[in-house]
Amino acid sequence: VQQPKPQPLANGPSTASILVSTRQKGNPILNHIRNMPWEYADIPADYVLGATTCALFLSLKYHKLHPEYVYGRIRALQGKYNLRILLTMVDVEAHEECLKELSKTSLINNVTIILAWSAPEAGRYLELYKTYENAAFTSIKGHQSTNFSDRLVEFVTVPRSVNKTDALGLVSNFGTIRTAINAQPEEISLIAGWGEKKVQRWCGAVREPFR
Amino acid sequence: MAEEEHHPVKLSLPLEFQQDIFQEIRAEDELLIIAKGLGLLRIVTNLLHSYDAAGNNLIIIVGANDRENGWIGEFLAEHATISKAPKARGLSLVNTQMASLVSRQKLYAHGGILSITSQILIVDLLSGVLPPGNVTGMVVLHAERVSATSIESFVLREYRQHNKVGFLKAFSDSPESFTYGFSPLATMMRNLFLQKTLLYPRFQLDVIKSLEGQKKAEVIELEVPMTESMATIQAAILECVEASVSDLKKGNTGLDMSDWNLDNALQGNFDQRVMRQLNPVWHRLHPRTKQVAADLRTLRSMLSYLVTFDPVQFLKYLDTVLAASQPKNPNSKANQSPWLFLDAATTIFETAKQRVYAGKMVDNGPPLNKAATEAIRPTLEELPKWVVLSEVLDEIERDVYFNPVVDDSSGSIMIMCSNHETCAQLKEYLKRRQLVEDAEDEESEPHFAASFMLKDKLRSYIYWKRAFAKMNDSLKADVAQSMESKGEAQRDAPRRGPPNKRRRVRGGAASASTASRIETSRTAGDKEAHLASLLENEVQAVGADGLPEEEVVVDPLSDKDTYFELLEMQDLIIVHPYDGDIDEHAIEEVRPRYVIMYEPEAAFIRRVEVYRSSHTDRNIRVYFMYYKDSVEEQMYLASVRREKDAFTKLIRERGNMAITIDNAKLDPEEAFLRTINTRIAGGGRVAAATAERPRVVVDTREFRSSLPSLVNARGMDVVPCMLTVGDYVLTPDICVERKSISDLIGSLNNGRLFNQAETMLEHYKFPMLLIEFDQTRSFTLDPFTDLSAGPQSALSSAPDLQSKIVLLTLAFPRMRIIWSSSPYQTAEIFEELKKLNDEPDPRKAVNMGIQEGDDAETVRPFNQLPIDMLREIPGINEKNITRLSLDITNIHELANYEEDDICAMVGREAGRQIYRFFNRNIGRD
Repeated sequence: VQQPKPQPLANGPSTASILVSTRQKGNPILNHIRNMPWEYADIPADYVLGATTCALFLSLKYHKLHPEYVYGRIRALQGKYNLRILLTMVDVEAHEECLKELSKTSLINNVTIILAWSAPEAGRYLELYKTYENAAFTSIKGHQSTNFSDRLVEFVTVPRSVNKTDALGLVSNFGTIRTAINAQPEEISLIAGWGEKKVQRWCGAVREPFR
Repeated sequence: MAEEEHHPVKLSLPLEFQQDIFQEIRAEDELLIIAKGLGLLRIVTNLLHSYDAAGNNLIIIVGANDRENGWIGEFLAEHATISKAPKARGLSLVNTQMASLVSRQKLYAHGGILSITSQILIVDLLSGVLPPGNVTGMVVLHAERVSATSIESFVLREYRQHNKVGFLKAFSDSPESFTYGFSPLATMMRNLFLQKTLLYPRFQLDVIKSLEGQKKAEVIELEVPMTESMATIQAAILECVEASVSDLKKGNTGLDMSDWNLDNALQGNFDQRVMRQLNPVWHRLHPRTKQVAADLRTLRSMLSYLVTFDPVQFLKYLDTVLAASQPKNPNSKANQSPWLFLDAATTIFETAKQRVYAGKMVDNGPPLNKAATEAIRPTLEELPKWVVLSEVLDEIERDVYFNPVVDDSSGSIMIMCSNHETCAQLKEYLKRRQLVEDAEDEESEPHFAASFMLKDKLRSYIYWKRAFAKMNDSLKADVAQSMESKGEAQRDAPRRGPPNKRRRVRGGAASASTASRIETSRTAGDKEAHLASLLENEVQAVGADGLPEEEVVVDPLSDKDTYFELLEMQDLIIVHPYDGDIDEHAIEEVRPRYVIMYEPEAAFIRRVEVYRSSHTDRNIRVYFMYYKDSVEEQMYLASVRREKDAFTKLIRERGNMAITIDNAKLDPEEAFLRTINTRIAGGGRVAAATAERPRVVVDTREFRSSLPSLVNARGMDVVPCMLTVGDYVLTPDICVERKSISDLIGSLNNGRLFNQAETMLEHYKFPMLLIEFDQTRSFTLDPFTDLSAGPQSALSSAPDLQSKIVLLTLAFPRMRIIWSSSPYQTAEIFEELKKLNDEPDPRKAVNMGIQEGDDAETVRPFNQLPIDMLREIPGINEKNITRLSLDITNIHELANYEEDDICAMVGREAGRQIYRFFNRNIGRD
């Protein structure tokens, strides 16, 4: 396997790149860190992804052969770093026992498990951690799609089994969402595609009390 | 049966085999599987009544739906008076969270027959509100739904563990559900804690003897040929189905697809079967395959709509399908349905249009090209079944006139069809037919009514289409706007083919409605207007021909005040949709002389047979119509065959099941304990006996999932509580929020998870997020956004699931993630996490997250569904959502608020947004 050479720094300080421990030489996931610069460094963790974030890499196949390995590595971190990722590659079929054990470990040793199923995915996680190092959390704080049609479809399709076709049919028949909400079940059931169950779910949902 | 001698119970089971079943099931705990239409509910209600009349008991019905509850309640009340049983207490319902704890306790103490929603039942059983020992017996309806992980089986296990004397009887009329998997019947028996099965297929000897005696029902089959255009459309849809199926096959070579062919594709459960094959590898599938799998469902519904909808309605449906399959992002072909590109698709849309109006509409022609639009005229093909229906009604009229039969039947005519939509359609047709007949007296023309009705529909269709085109427009404009604001990346992307291709696909068919592009929309509107005016003339012309228009639109109630009179039963035509066992009730009440089955349904024929055999003095004649060589006919035949095969299989399995029965006789608790303690060997039991039993506090809303049941099966006590923070509390420090993959995506999108994580972090030392995969699905996340598109697009496009997980961990470094491949594994992980830790205190867990000063009202848990809908409304955010959900009862109320009222609650900006969301008229602005 041809390992890529560490990329020279484009510019700026070294914190802009992912620091990779020399232990990781030969790891196929390095081939997939393409969107972020990375360099070898002498660090206790496998990867340093930010000022307070580091990651250990663990292949389950290896873990099965050397179950004590990961504990030694975690100990070597000496409680440094605020967010300590255990990037785990699921490369065995029988993963249940290992994952059970690791779940327990994560609780005791203060590491967060992230599972990846392929080398590209693992590489992508590393990139993402670096990319979002200083990002705001807006995209997980709530929806911000502002266009009306998306919202409309999203709103109408919340009850189970109501799909996009139904949503368009409903609103095109009644004109506004308000009339659609006020409509009697019999009126709605005349719309193509709105079977009895769907009508019931819709009417139930808009009249179901919040509390 | 000594009991019954004291309280003579009047039963209403007229047929011999029904009485046999009753006696047998009364005597022993059994699972009854019976063919649809043989009166299952009747047997159940009689059984319940026999217990009810005896009095002093607490019987629980599990798994009944609303309608069944209604029927059982009515029946019990009726029979309590008939058999003069003073102790009978009838049916009580416990079905919503609304019923308070105190009133539930009272109900349980009072006893009688209770129908309880499984979710409430399990909570009450676990929390001791309803001690399992007090229950006299349980009756399980829809036994086919009891699977190893369902709540029902949890209920039964809890019941059997603590109560070994109470009876337990299970019923099902869906033999097909017992044919999947390995030894399905034996598995089911184990889940139900039952040892014996009773099978009653239609071909059982006793059933045949009872139903095919002297009093056979008269059945006349009518094969209705389809019109040429219907046949064309059907063939074209089938072609699309076939193409889609072969597309699926081509894209997924690793799967077993030997039975993926056109014949099977028409069967009712084909998409479920495809999904079962695809689900384990779902995350690895190409988006195209997913799209095709979804298309199959659409195509199959189109097939059934073709024969049930009238042409105008069908065209309307096609329009919506087309509009919905438009890609969100015009630059990507990702969600384009492949079948739309087939020639056959063009045929479908063309022919569907030709059934409604004819004429050449040059799609790209200039807006007011006279030559192009002049040729348009309504063609309006009527459904062949209408003609046949009309003829049958005439025949019945003659029959009544020439050979009057005096018997106990009411002489009315009942028309049965598959759903309310068809019902409405037939009612309208018959009404028109009547009006036309009245107007023209003797020389009535049967086709007239239909064309009249269709013309009305066409006119409203044109209005609808205009609004629809505008809606599409304004929606697209919205999208376009947001696209533009997204900036350079989008604009730079090469414009790919879709716009042109779409044009070709649509052909002339639904040009106006699908005018998604702004440039053609105005054209469309003008054409529509022209078409409408054309039609207007046409209709007026017809009116002048002798039937004044007013007479048709005359309100039947307008001369209400001139006179009233009671209608004779024999003058009535009743149009009714098929409705499972409730139909039996309908036939009994109406006592029809003639039944016209507008669509085939095997169960209903049996109901008629049962009805006829039950009454010596009621004649009944059934007309049974279906489209010849249609999918409708094939589906009907296939369903009959499937049921028969299912029974044959079940009978064979029962024959070979001797060993399983012996096994099942083991004490369920014993067997259950054995399974849980194999891992811990001898020491585990001793420890469990001395120490406190491990305990998990579970939010009551979590009982919808199978996890609590499995946690309980691993020997942990499940304590149901209303939790404000988290779903599961394992130890005083560990709190777990469970998310299935779809939940995870949803709650990351709407920000709910962010808030939940925040509160968990605030109250617990070890907050954990459990990402639980489905057992039948693959243990991988969706492949992340395609990276090959270049470095920029990967980061600038909408963040995918992985990046959101990354953000979540960055936001809450203290939160741990548990990855679990199935609920089974989750239960094991919970057990592991709890080891050597203290047990949680339920009271503390409940109070967690409740601020001081909050009254009981604010902390009552909300209903997830309407809250989720509320979240989708623009202007709603985490701050005002609590306020709104407290001040307003439901969405219906919010939608009808005036702008000022909303503004007063949430502020001006948000209020205006909310008001506008509900009141924006899509057709007009």
